[in-house]
Amino acid sequence: MKTIKFDDVNQGEEIPSIEFGPIKQMDLVRYAGASGDFNPIHTDPTLAKEYGLDGTIAHGMYIMSQLSRVCSNWINPNQVSNYNVKFRGMAIPGETIICTGKIKRKTEKEGKRTILVALQAANSEGDIKVSGDFTVIFI
Amino acid sequence: MVQLSKDIIGTKLSNFEYEIGREKIKEFLLAIGEENPIYHDQEEAKKVGYSDTPAPLTFITSINFWGNPQWLDDFDKLGIDVKKLLHLKESYDYVKPIYPNMKVNYSSQVADVKIGKMNMVTLVAILKDEKDDTLLKQESTIIIRPE
Repeated sequence: MKTIKFDDVNQGEEIPSIEFGPIKQMDLVRYAGASGDFNPIHTDPTLAKEYGLDGTIAHGMYIMSQLSRVCSNWINPNQVSNYNVKFRGMAIPGETIICTGKIKRKTEKEGKRTILVALQAANSEGDIKVSGDFTVIFI
Repeated sequence: MVQLSKDIIGTKLSNFEYEIGREKIKEFLLAIGEENPIYHDQEEAKKVGYSDTPAPLTFITSINFWGNPQWLDDFDKLGIDVKKLLHLKESYDYVKPIYPNMKVNYSSQVADVKIGKMNMVTLVAILKDEKDDTLLKQESTIIIRPE
């Protein structure tokens, strides 16, 4: 893993993106097992319909987890002090999700150097599923 | 089922202990497609300052569910209908790395409730290690879809 230096990072720059999918029902079953979240809206198409949905939807946390790889693949996660997201749309099996990140803010105050990176997960049509940001601390 | 109301603000949920299994972390990494070697290879982890392969950034979810099989009852008692539950926001403050074999303590409480067209509940939680040092702070906001 290469080291990212504070001075090499500029506001507005994009960091390497990742893509995953098309999401398969099995991916959600696997995530259900790993996370322990077996809510039928994610795992059981029949029950998901009974609950008023068109079919299963991905766990929001599955998308947040995949999106976190943009962060962990770019910088040592030990430097990350906060990661937060808002769930904006349901992702469903069959969709391919593109996860991107962009340097939103760079601050240097009282010897404390931080950068804020905006993140987004959207399908191939550009419909946003999850957006958020993470904070990196440079010592 | 009790009606969801602002009265539950401040209510503490199940407080539990959980031992983090190395294999459970591996299973989680596989499920989320995380292939960064620092999560899989102790030598790679040590090169960047960890003492062992850490848990990935969102592993707390696994602690939330596997660590607390009572969570459905907890939500039921609060008046939250899990059939109508949707996740709105999730936030983590990372204080110290989470490692395999750690015995952790998880405690959470209701921080806020908004009653309206969409009812909204915010939970805050703290994950601590055996020395009572904070590892992570979590804030989750869920909405409950109307009838």
